[in-house]
Amino acid sequence: MTSISEQLFNALGVMIMGMGLVFIFLSILIVGIKIVARLCESENQSAVAHAPTPAAASATTLDPKLVAAITSAIHQYRAKD
Amino acid sequence: MEGLMAFWSETGIANFAPDQLFMMAIGGLLLYLAIAKGFEPLLLVPIGFGAILANIPNAGFTDEGGLLWYAYYVGIETGIFPLLIFMGVGALTDFGALIANPKTLLLGAAAQFGIFATLLGAIALNLVPGFEFSMQDAAAIAIIGGADGPTAIFLASKLAPDLLGAIAVAAYSYMALVPLIQPPIMRLLTSESERTIKMEQLREVSKKEKIIFPLMVVGMTILFLPAATPLVGMFCLGNLMRESGVVDRLSSTAQNELINIVTIFLGLAVGSKLQAEEFLRIETLGILVLGAVAFSIGTAAGVMMAKLMSKLSGGKINPLIGAAGVSAVPMAARVVNKVGLEANQQNFLLMHAMGPNVAGVLGSAVAAGVLLAVLG
Repeated sequence: MTSISEQLFNALGVMIMGMGLVFIFLSILIVGIKIVARLCESENQSAVAHAPTPAAASATTLDPKLVAAITSAIHQYRAKD
Repeated sequence: MEGLMAFWSETGIANFAPDQLFMMAIGGLLLYLAIAKGFEPLLLVPIGFGAILANIPNAGFTDEGGLLWYAYYVGIETGIFPLLIFMGVGALTDFGALIANPKTLLLGAAAQFGIFATLLGAIALNLVPGFEFSMQDAAAIAIIGGADGPTAIFLASKLAPDLLGAIAVAAYSYMALVPLIQPPIMRLLTSESERTIKMEQLREVSKKEKIIFPLMVVGMTILFLPAATPLVGMFCLGNLMRESGVVDRLSSTAQNELINIVTIFLGLAVGSKLQAEEFLRIETLGILVLGAVAFSIGTAAGVMMAKLMSKLSGGKINPLIGAAGVSAVPMAARVVNKVGLEANQQNFLLMHAMGPNVAGVLGSAVAAGVLLAVLG
């Protein structure tokens, strides 16, 4: 009988340790997944942030003086008549 | 006349022992469940037929040198078949739902309580006269609660080969019975309003995250739990082949042809362990009872954990998804979806339940690794 209670005690030890280890292992994995997710997210965001700037820049470089010159040219051309 | 007598003495009729007939009847029952009822037919057909073949007198299938003996010796005693199946399962598994909601890993961990509680139960059963389970036996029986066939067979072949037949049959039968075992427990532990909770849609997961995930899991196993690397390693290899997208041919072989071939021989080899003298023992009855207990406790622990997380998150998590933490992919997730739909016609929990479901596979592989490391 003592051997059975001893075995039960051992089993209880394995149970507590086992559940602890499973939880610790999977918790570390949660942290890992979150870190990877954040890295991927920031990479995506910087990619998204980079993408529109050249487009906006090209649009703005067309604008200020060139547009003013063209409008004034059109204006002068129309004023000739 | 002498020739006729010699022929007669070689026939099955002359040599049948009643317990062999009984085991053939069990094989027939497994075939019936598989064919007429559709319970896990992919496994129960070869297992049931293997049980019939293994109990034919004078056939020599299971003697040394026979086909079934080889199938067992090559595939199961070495642990190769369950590992190849695990690779195929890895190639079939999409971790997207888990990566999108990593908290569900905790549900997969909680459901493993079924395994460790049953370990205690199996040892406690030694108090009943007629039972004498060692710690190794108890661990191999307890892993039935992981609801994962290959893991159960792998661990049983390492820790308690003489109980393998009963353990494998119990594991696969209870997996087939998930739709019957789980819903009453789920309804008992949750309230109507909890079952109707709707969950937010999961975010998109990038391909890069899906590729890094199996590598990360394998890295952690190498660092913390090398005993689990056979299972986790093959699983992650299968998953990496799937997600990397550069070896579609290998991935498709792993999840189709290879897993099918291995399933045939795995089933036959497990069936060959259903020989009368090995199976018809009081221990088998104990294993069947303990297996059911393990399953139920695992389900309950998963649901309770999900309830706790639901409370802490302010009602964003439907406690039903905890029941999917006992692996049994994808059956358990489908059961969750069904019970959820009963409470709320518009509530589709399938994708949310897939997270804990695949977490359960990882959880039981880790639990098996712990048991192997401590008792192996």
